[in-house]
Amino acid sequence: MPASPDKLAALATLRRELAGKVRSGTEFLEECSRCAPGEATFLAGLDAVLGGGFKRGCLTEIHVSGPSRGGGLVLASLLSRARQAGQYAILFDVGNGFAVESFPEHDLESLLWVGCDSAAQAVAVWDVAVRDENYRWFLLDGRDCTPEDWRAVRPAQWQRIVGQMRERESVGVIFARGPVTAVAKARLELVSPLGLESLHQDREAIVAALRFRRVGGGAGENDGRGGSGERRMAG
Amino acid sequence: MKEPVRRGVAKAETGYAVIWCRDFRLQALKRRGGRDVPVALVDDTQRQSIVLCGNVLAARSGVAPGMPTVQALARCSGLRVARPSEASELAASRLLLETALGWVPGIEETAPGILTLDLSTQPPDRWTESAYHLRDRLARTGLEVAIGLGETPALARIAAQAALHEGVEVWHLAPGDHFARLDRLPFLVAECGAKLREKLQLWGLSSLGAFARLRREEVAARLGDEGVELWLRLTGRLRRPLCFAKLEELFEEHHDFEYEVHDREPLYFLLRRFLGSLAGRVAATGRSVAAVHLLASFADGTCQARRLALPEPSLDEEVLFRLASSPIEGLEMKAAVNGLRLRFEPSDPVATQRPLFGKGLRNRHLHGETLTRMRKIVGADRIGSPRRPDTHRPGICGRAPLAAELGETEAPPPGPPVTGLPLRRYPFACRTSVQLHEGKPLRVESARLTGVVIEAHGPWKSSGDWWHRGQSWERNEWDVALLNHGLFRLVETPQGWSLEGYYD
Repeated sequence: MPASPDKLAALATLRRELAGKVRSGTEFLEECSRCAPGEATFLAGLDAVLGGGFKRGCLTEIHVSGPSRGGGLVLASLLSRARQAGQYAILFDVGNGFAVESFPEHDLESLLWVGCDSAAQAVAVWDVAVRDENYRWFLLDGRDCTPEDWRAVRPAQWQRIVGQMRERESVGVIFARGPVTAVAKARLELVSPLGLESLHQDREAIVAALRFRRVGGGAGENDGRGGSGERRMAG
Repeated sequence: MKEPVRRGVAKAETGYAVIWCRDFRLQALKRRGGRDVPVALVDDTQRQSIVLCGNVLAARSGVAPGMPTVQALARCSGLRVARPSEASELAASRLLLETALGWVPGIEETAPGILTLDLSTQPPDRWTESAYHLRDRLARTGLEVAIGLGETPALARIAAQAALHEGVEVWHLAPGDHFARLDRLPFLVAECGAKLREKLQLWGLSSLGAFARLRREEVAARLGDEGVELWLRLTGRLRRPLCFAKLEELFEEHHDFEYEVHDREPLYFLLRRFLGSLAGRVAATGRSVAAVHLLASFADGTCQARRLALPEPSLDEEVLFRLASSPIEGLEMKAAVNGLRLRFEPSDPVATQRPLFGKGLRNRHLHGETLTRMRKIVGADRIGSPRRPDTHRPGICGRAPLAAELGETEAPPPGPPVTGLPLRRYPFACRTSVQLHEGKPLRVESARLTGVVIEAHGPWKSSGDWWHRGQSWERNEWDVALLNHGLFRLVETPQGWSLEGYYD
C-alpha cells in the first residue's frame, strides 16, 4: 500500500530536523576511529598524515615501493620511539634481513625480534603474540614479500589479530611493497627516493625529508574522500 | 672513662630450637582421631607382639613400651592396637617440616618427629613467642609437640626434653641463666647412658646443673669420653653444623590410577587438585614456586618427565596450571597412564620492588608462555632481543632475552650516533658480476637485479679474525646507487663480488 503524502511529508520534516543529530552507522564508526587515542610517532609528517599518530587497536600499512625510500628509517624511528616511551615492540622479520648494526643498541633493548620464513608464518606468530599484554608495538617487516605471499594468509587471521589489538590497544604496522590486508585502517606510501648522500647524513635530517602519501583502500577510509595527497614532513 | 659507643649492625645471635613430637609414630597414625580412647602402637613383626608406644590414656592404664601386647590388652580392656604406617609417618613428617618452614628456613630433620631449627635469622626477642605460635599451628594439625630453645643444638635438645619432662610447651635455656635452669633437671633429660647416670648419682650429683659446674679435667679423668661429651653439651661448648633438610622433594603429590586412563581430562582434573594442595602448602612456608616437575608414567613401563621453569617465582594457580598443563596437551598417549606425579621447586618469592618510574614487562608469566608458543612456530634460535656482538665482522647478530625492566631514558644513549639509512640484508649473499671502470663499479649484474651504477662510495676496507686460524675475513664494501633501483651495498671478498643488501 503506498504511503500517504502526509506521512511522507512528515517523515521528510523529521529527517530535516534530525539531520544534524542522527548519523549513519558508518559515520559513527568513522568518528569513533578518528577519536580513538593515537600513538604519536614524533615523525611530524607521519603524525600529520595519520591525524595524530598510529591509532591504537588498528593496523596501518606503510608501502615502500622499492629500496631506498626510507622504510627502514621509519622502522628505526618507531623502535626509538617505543624505547623512549618504555614500551615493548615485536618485529616480525620476514626474510631475516634485520641488520643489527644499523640500529642504536639502546633502541634494541625493548625490541623482540622474530625471524620468519614467510608472510604466513609471520602472521601466525603475530596471532600468538598479539594476545600478550606486554607488547604495545607489533611491526611486521614484509618489504621482501610478494603479493602471492600475502595471499597465503587467511583473512580470518587478520580479523583475529585486529580484534585482539583492539582489546589491548596495541599498534600494528606493516611494512610492505603494496596492499596487504583489507583490515588495515590506514595505508601510507613513502614517496621520496633517497640518494647516496643520505648514507652520511644525520638520521633526523633524513627523516625530516621523508614524504608520505595516504593511499586509498584502507578499511577506515571513505573512498572519494581519502587520499588527501602528499604532505611534507616539517621539522 | 666512657666506653666508646658501638655503632653498626648488631651481631646476629645464634640460637636453636628443637621441635620434639613425642611418640611420633603413634601421633602420625592418630592425628585426626583416637585421642579419647587408649591406643597403643604395636610391633607384630617379631615372634611376640610388643607395644612400641601408647597414648596418655593407655599409659594411665599401665600400658608401657616394650610390654607384650597380650599383657597390655589384659591391663587395659578397651585398648586399641594399631600397626605403624609408613605413609602416615611420611605425611606427618612433611607436615611437621612444612609448618616449621613457616618460621625459619634452616631446618634439620634430626630424627623422625624431631626437628632442629637454626634461629639465627630471627630476632631473639621473638623466639619464645614464635615457638608458641608454631606449637599452636602444629596442634591444629593434630601434632602435639614440645619445643626447646637453646644456644646450641645440644642445649636446645635438652630443653625440648625438659619441656616434655615438665609437661610444658616451650622451654628456653637462655644463655644468662642456663646453669640455674639445669639445676632443676635430672640426668634422664640429657639422654645419657644408664651406667653414667648411676655413677653420677653415686657421686651425689642429682642435677645437670651440678654436673655442668664441675671442671672439665676432673670429668675427663674420672668419666672418660662419655662424661666429657655430656659436659660439653651442658656447657654449650659442643657445636655442630646442621644438615639442612632438602626442600626439592618436599612439595610433591602423586597418584597411581586404579584403572586405565586414556584421556587427558582425568589428568587435568588431578593436576588442578594437586596444584591447589601444593600451592597452599608452599604458601604456608612463605615461599613461592620457581619450577614445576611433572612426571607421567604409562602402563607399558615408560614415563615422560618435564621440568617447567617459571619466568619468576609465583603462586598463582592459574599460571601454574597453564604451565603444567602444556606438556599434558602434548603428551603421547601410546599407552594408558598409570600415574601422575607433580613436584614444586620452592624458591624465595620476588622481594624486589620494581622501579617507580621505570618500565618493564607487565606480566612476565604471560611473556614466558608467549615465547614458548612462538618458539614452537619459528624455532628457538629465531627469537630474541637483538644485540650487537663485540666484533666488526658483518652479518653476526647476538640474541639476548628481552629485558624485563627498562631503565630511565632521560640520558642520551651511549655510543656514537648512528647515521645514514639502515641496511636490509638479503638472506643469502647474491653472487654478482661487477664491471669496473678506473677501479670503481660501473655495472652490476646478478640474479636479483641488473643495473648501472650512477654513483659509488668506497671502497670501505675491513678485515679481522686473522689471529684465529681459518676464521679470518677480509672485504671491501661499496655503497652504490643503481639507476632506477636504489642504494645497495656491494661487497668484494677473495671469493668474488656479492650484493649484500639494500639501504632503506
